[in-house]
Amino acid sequence: MGSSSTFSWPYFYQYPPYFTRQPVKETADRQSSLWGSLILAYCKHHKLYVLSPSEDIPLWVNKDINRRLAPEAAVSFLDDLVAAGSALWLDGGAKARCLVLWRRLPDVAAAIASWAASYGMADSVMLLDELAAGPEVAGTELEGLHREVLLRALQLLEAQGKVKLFKGATPEEEGVKFL
Amino acid sequence: MRRRPGIAGIQRDVATREQYRSAGEEVRRASLQQMKAQLATFKSSLEAFALQHKADIRADPVFRAQFHTMCANIGVDPLASNKGMWAELLGFGDFYYELGVQLVEACLASRQLNGGLMELGALRAAVERRRGSRSDPVSEDDIVRAVRKLKVLGGGIDIVTIGRGTYIRSVPGEFNTDKNKVMELAQAAGYISAGQLASTAGWSSQRCERVLAELLKEGMAMIDDGAPDKIRLYWFPALMPQQQQQQ
Repeated sequence: MGSSSTFSWPYFYQYPPYFTRQPVKETADRQSSLWGSLILAYCKHHKLYVLSPSEDIPLWVNKDINRRLAPEAAVSFLDDLVAAGSALWLDGGAKARCLVLWRRLPDVAAAIASWAASYGMADSVMLLDELAAGPEVAGTELEGLHREVLLRALQLLEAQGKVKLFKGATPEEEGVKFL
Repeated sequence: MRRRPGIAGIQRDVATREQYRSAGEEVRRASLQQMKAQLATFKSSLEAFALQHKADIRADPVFRAQFHTMCANIGVDPLASNKGMWAELLGFGDFYYELGVQLVEACLASRQLNGGLMELGALRAAVERRRGSRSDPVSEDDIVRAVRKLKVLGGGIDIVTIGRGTYIRSVPGEFNTDKNKVMELAQAAGYISAGQLASTAGWSSQRCERVLAELLKEGMAMIDDGAPDKIRLYWFPALMPQQQQQQ
């Protein structure tokens, strides 16, 4: 999914040394922090939820300066985001797919609860697929939510006693009941 | 009959010399008084000028620099003291004091980025942003004067010349000639490799490695292993062209 406005790259994205992991701790910490912010901003702008460290996207590859962030470096910066609670690895130790939480889970959960309240969803049941892309969420901030994000946000709401999740025979039959 | 000099003659000579000497002193005294009078006139003319052009001096950096030059020619330093006539007349003490605080803040804010070495033009731009659009503009000349004032107060701020550029160093520690040389050689491209450094400066590879390692450690240099030929390059954020620098 693209976006209507152009993404505005930060200054360090045009500066070659930032594409190499720095050995000096202070510099490396700052570098990680800068990349972390860029990853979140990029994903938010493009409504991306899952990143792969080795994929060929402008985030990791700046053709203008002919530099590419090595996958190990990308993994390292994503690890730091995970440690800060802004990302999750979807594949355990393999670290090839990372869920980027550019919107905090509690905020997503609150948005779902608020939508449910304004649509009078109490006691209603919905399939997760409908909640992610159905007509009821068209035009709302829930539209296009990645299934993984949706699931985790609903799990939060379940812990708060606001919904009940239930599995069907297949993933397509996973659903949620609003309490 | 011609009389030979006698005691009286000698005494007369001594008296004459005395007269000349005291006359000479009188002339000197008069000249000195005249000079003092003239300096006093200069000074009050300068004060009148400063008062009349106060607004311009504050608002126009070029005019301000010319004013400084004029003062210097007469031997007056409006920045010599924060108190006194000049401070009250122009608020100069406040202006440069405030500027000193702002430039130190700007240096500190960007220290992480450039290791404590900031190009003068970049520093001026950063200070201007801090001051806001509605305050009096400042020139590089103003920054240099403020830095010189700060230096007198002590405490690790200094002006460093590297090649064609002027930089303000705001970290303690040594910025020796080797480091200066490295940055001077890297100035054009913004980066240099150990090999280029060795061949251009004529240094041993150990010497190159040592200086580059120091600059790296101090945060003034960053490594780049992404060049097409895979040769490690050392970049210097302080040498980054202004347009590229962080807001």
